[in-house]
Formats: sequence, C-alpha cells, structure tokens
Amino acid sequence: MGSSTEEKVVAVILVGGPTKGTRFRPLSLNIPKPLFPIAGQPMVHHPISACKRIPNLAQVYLVGFYEEREFALYVSAISNELKVPVRYLKEDKPHGSAGGLYHFRNLIMEDNPSHIFLLNCDVCCSFPLPEMLESHRKHGGIGTLLVIKVSPESANQFGELVADPVTNELLHYTEKPETFVSDRINCGVYVFTPEIFTAIRDVSTQRNDTVTLRRVSSYEALQPATRIPADFVRLDQDILSPLAGKKQLYTYETMDFWEQIKSPGMSLRCSELYLSQFRLTSPQVLASGDGTKSAIVIGDVYIHPSAKVHPTAKIGPNVSISANARVGPGVRLISCIILDDVEIMENAVVTNAIVGWKSSIGRWSRVQAEGVYNAKLGVTILGESVAVEDEVVVTSSIVLPNKTLNVSVQDEIIL
Amino acid sequence: MKALILVGGFGTRLRPLTFSTPKPLVDFGNKPMILHQIEALKAAGVTEVVLAINHQQPEVMLNFVKEYEKKLEMKITFSQETEPLGTAGPLALARDKLVDESGKPFFVLNSDVICEYPLLEMIEFHKNHGAEASIMVTKVDDPSKYGVVVMEEEATEEARVESFVEKPKHFVGDKINAGIYLLNPSVLDRIELKRTSVEKEIFPKIASEKNLYAMVLPGFWMDIGQPKDYLTGQRMYLDYLRKKVPEELLVSGDHIIGNVMADETAVIGERCVIGPDVVIGPGCVIESGVRLFGCTVMRGARIKEHACVSDSIVGWDSTVGSWARVANITVLGKDANVVDAEVYSNGVVIQDHMSKTRGRSIVI
Repeated sequence: MGSSTEEKVVAVILVGGPTKGTRFRPLSLNIPKPLFPIAGQPMVHHPISACKRIPNLAQVYLVGFYEEREFALYVSAISNELKVPVRYLKEDKPHGSAGGLYHFRNLIMEDNPSHIFLLNCDVCCSFPLPEMLESHRKHGGIGTLLVIKVSPESANQFGELVADPVTNELLHYTEKPETFVSDRINCGVYVFTPEIFTAIRDVSTQRNDTVTLRRVSSYEALQPATRIPADFVRLDQDILSPLAGKKQLYTYETMDFWEQIKSPGMSLRCSELYLSQFRLTSPQVLASGDGTKSAIVIGDVYIHPSAKVHPTAKIGPNVSISANARVGPGVRLISCIILDDVEIMENAVVTNAIVGWKSSIGRWSRVQAEGVYNAKLGVTILGESVAVEDEVVVTSSIVLPNKTLNVSVQDEIIL
Repeated sequence: MKALILVGGFGTRLRPLTFSTPKPLVDFGNKPMILHQIEALKAAGVTEVVLAINHQQPEVMLNFVKEYEKKLEMKITFSQETEPLGTAGPLALARDKLVDESGKPFFVLNSDVICEYPLLEMIEFHKNHGAEASIMVTKVDDPSKYGVVVMEEEATEEARVESFVEKPKHFVGDKINAGIYLLNPSVLDRIELKRTSVEKEIFPKIASEKNLYAMVLPGFWMDIGQPKDYLTGQRMYLDYLRKKVPEELLVSGDHIIGNVMADETAVIGERCVIGPDVVIGPGCVIESGVRLFGCTVMRGARIKEHACVSDSIVGWDSTVGSWARVANITVLGKDANVVDAEVYSNGVVIQDHMSKTRGRSIVI
C-alpha cells in the first residue's frame, strides 16, 4: 500500500537513556524516565498522542539507550491503542542528537515519508504538530523548529535563536549563550524533510576539514581521542547553527505552555499543565465528585479507574492518582502525584509532593513542601515503598526507596 | 493560718495567653492556675490568703477573688508593690496581714508551681524540728537550671539546709527550691522593705544559723510558667489524678488513649483519637476525625475536622481549621484562628484575635 500521491509522515521521539535520567532520581531508580506518569499517562505518551493528530502518520519510532525490554510492553500497548505502529529502537552508542536520527535513516525512510518529526520526550507542551507541518509546507526548506518566547533572564538555559518576523526564517542560533541574544528559544520539537539526512552526512564529512571553534571542557581535552568521532552529530551546534540564515530552516512560534521535565519537581508542574489541557480537550478523562457518592474533587484531577478513594476525602486541585492506590477517609490531597499501589490512611494530608509506588502514608501524617517546582527540595519526593508512620510530618525532603520514617523530617535528603 | 502567694508580674512567658487573661487565671487542668493553690491552702487550714502583685489587677481578677472568698469561705486580699521588691520584699510589705497574736507560721507559695501540695505534712514537719523556717525541695534531673539547695545530709528526706548554690557548674546536689515555704513570723524581722531575694539573701542567712530545714516534696513538681513546661506539668498532673481520683476527672472510651480530661460540656466527634495527656475545656467542639495528643484545648475552642494538634496549647475560643496540623509547642491566644484548612503550624505563637494562614513564623 502507499500511493505515491499520499504524503506519509514519520515521527521520531528521542527518549534518552539511563545515564541521562540522573536528575530525575529517585523516581528514575524504579522506572525509565520516559515512562514516569504525568497527568496519569507515561511521559512519552503525551508526545505520542500528539503525533496521532498528524495526517497520514505512518510510524512512530522511540529512539534511546534503554534496554529494549523496558519499552516492549508499553510499545505494544500503545501501538494497539493508537492504531499506528510504534517501535522502540535502541542506539548502540552515542551519536549525538542528530546522529541518532541519521543512524536509523534506513528504517525511517522505509515508508518513504515526505516529512519527519523529531521530538524530545521530556518536553511538555501542546505539540501543535499539524500546524507546524502546514507552516513548513508553505515555506519549504529542510526543517521547521518549534520556538517559544521566554523571560530574558531564563533564556540562556536554552538554545536562543533569532527569526525573521515576516518570513519566519531562522536567522541565528546559539546554544546556552553567555550574553543575551534573544528571548526566543528552541522547544526541542522539529519537522524535517528527508534532506536532513544529507545535511547530517555533510557535517560528518566536513568535520575533518574545518577548525573546531568550540571550546572543549577540561574533561574532554584529557580524553585520549580528543577528536569527536565522525558520526557524532549534535543537532544544535552542528545543524541549526551553521544552517541558520541560509533559507533552509524556519520557525513556528507557539503561544501555549512549554516546560522541560528535568527534575521530579517539574513533573508535578507538567502534570498540572497537561491536566488543565485535558479539561479543554477531553474533560471526560478528569474526575469529579461532590462528597456524596464519591470524594469531593476540586479543579483538575485524574483518578485511575482501579484506584479507591473514600467519599470523605477531598482531592485537588492538580492531583493524579495512579492504579490501585487507596485513599482513606478524611484525606486531603493538593498538588501531588500518587503512584501505583500507594495507601494513604485516614486524615492524612499530602501537598506539593510525589508519593512513590507502594508507599504508605500513616494516619494524620503530613507529606508537604512549598511547591517551588524547580527548587531542589521544592517538592517532597518519596521513592518506592516508603512508609510514613502515623502523625509524622515530612517537609521539603527527598526520601529514597524502602525507608520508614517514624520521626518528622524537614529539608533533608534521606538516604 | 495565713498564706502569701507571690503572683508577680505580667506572665510574659505565657504570652499570648496572658494578653487576654491575667496569669493566675490561666487555666491548668480546667481550673485557674491559682485556684489549685488556694484550694490546697484551704485544705491545710489556711483561712486568709494574700496575693502579692506588682501592678493593678484587671476586673476579671477582682471578680474571681470575690467569688472564691464566698465559695471557699476564706479571706483573699491583695498586697501591691509600688516598686520592685524582689522575692522577699513583698513579704515585708504584707507584714501586717501575715502576722497576728497567734504567732503561727505562714505559708509562702510561688504562683507558677504545680505539685501535690502536701501542706499538712509540711505543718507537721515544721512543728517537729521547731526551727524558724521550712522549705520544700524537689529532686530534678537538671538542677543547674534552677539553683540547688544543699542539705546537710544528702541522703535523708528531711534535713537541715546547709547552703544555696545558684546554677552550679559542678554537681553539688540534685534538690532545688520548690517554691513552697512555711515561715515563722520572726523571719519577717529579717526582711527590709526593699528589693531583696529570698534565695540569695534571706534563706542563706537563716541556713547559716542552722535554722532552715528542707523537706523533699513527694510526687510531681513543675514550674508551669512557660508553654513547654506547662505541657509537661499537665502530663504529670493527669498522671497524678489517674492514681488519686480517676473516675471523677478523667474520661475513657474507645477513642481515648491514656490520661484525658474533658469537661462534660465538651463535644467530641466521630473517629477521633484523643490522648494521651490531653485536657479539653468546657464548651469545646472537637469535630470528627481529629487527633489530639499532649495538648490543651481551652474553653470554647473548636478543632475542625481531620485536624491534628500535638504538644500545643489552643487558647480560649480559638479555631483550628480542618486538616490543620498544630505541633511542637504552638500556642494560640484567645480567639486565634488557624484559618486555612491545611496549614501546618510548627512551634508558632499565634496572637490572640489573629488569623494564621501560613505556618512557621511567629505572628505577634
């Protein structure tokens, strides 16, 4: 099948690997970060769902360094649900963010797609993919980047870029600059034509000829092979920067939300954003209740169908409750993620926290934090199987798996 | 017999409770602090009590005195110092009220003290040794916090006092002044009407003349002038009641753990767990799902659903909001409000008539 007049699209989602998920500990000790639930669904589910809106989507590839078996179950389930094949591809060695795409070019080009989307799994946004595709078709070129305006103070954490306001052409691109360049930044969502593979190949072959202008860190300088291997191609430095200003790359600006999910605390923030998005796109997914037959629900709340919540509990806003969790009488949950098999006993309070799988929260206990999402101890994190005994208060702390707390703690990392 | 109670100052350490109520009337075990002492004095045969104060008392105090003069059939008067007289000077000031032709000894009590008040035994002790002054001492774990009374024979229960040592650096003894004295009228001849200290000037002099005897206080003792000690004293007091008169004053039930005192007009909701070491005053409302331990809930206060109050004092007519957590020696003054549900209050002092929406800072 596949008439040549129908333009097929393939999506590639970079999911990273275990060595890249270290900032997500202790939650990533138990589960690959891309599978961590955000608003009741695995993190990678959100970009994959967004891909479903692309017309003529032929295939979704997940590319990463995790073992294949870690994604096997998820991938077969989501393929069924989406009715589009989803496949996980394991990279054998680091190729850089563009090199990975190149490494699997044969597979990607199998369906002869006219366009290829490249997404980063830990980006949280509205993924306006059909709109990006349409915009790209209008001005041609090799690719279109999703961009967003941020505060000038925070811009230098990202790739800053300058775009022509009329043609939307990418004029200039620089990664984490020292001085202010622009308040528009790269969101990590791209659409390319197959010409991207040529561009990547050209980078490898040209590498030997051009002078390396990039400053290397001391660590890199001390490595025996100081030269970057030929097939290691980074999207930002090696493709976007050189091609900027050559009428090859364009931008599409989003006015919606955008965040990166780097730390556990940010997953709570992104959960909030996706839950409020569900309120607009699919409100039937969210929970409701007024305390008579089911618990009082305030704001945007997701409760897995297998979870049991006592009618005298009060839940929300911004709460996700995962499978088989049990929430007892008189419990109050605000701004939190409750993972699978957690038991929360009578009259406990959880606010600004993530409670790990199989943990138990005792009667009248409190698990709480200030709720500053990107501060180190801004959200309290309990790892897998943590037991908080009756009446204990856990404030602004991170507790590693299998710990029992029988005294109150504050501002601590409990090993 | 007559007695003097050193009521003293403004009760600053029990703020904010003392912003709305004079310290002697702050409730302890659902009874004004000073009433514990006045009743103990009555039981020992005292018919006249002098309250040594250092500022004009509010009307509520005057009314209290009138009421209990009648109820207890005792004479209760005030002796107000116009300049600071220390711990001994007030005795000289009240001389005329304390001494009469009978020449009987008189009691002196510090107002913040709570104990079993074995005053009849003390009268017997005083008669037997026949010396000028008797003092109660109590054994404590950390004597240097208070000031040690060194006895001539350390091991005995009743002995002559050798000396007083303020906050000793090395261990000299583990008995401290319990703040209860029985003095012959002749002691008043030693005190000038000026700022004088009983522990530093008067008693050491009497001791050097081998005229001061000490009796070790049986049972519990606590200076309840600050919240942390108030709550420790409450625990000891309830334990004492359990052993002496449990049916009268302590409650029991499925939802009660350990020693709990609750006024019969207090209402306790479903699925609460109360105790140990809790006192609940008249007219209090404890809503369902509440946990209380090691705390005091004063008259008219309301603890809303699912809240948890531990090691804290909830003042008269206050409200603790639903799902709130009040812990670690938090003190709510009269009519204070832990307003938002879900607030965590950790060692905070909450001003009377004020609302608290976030925990952790002192709100005065």
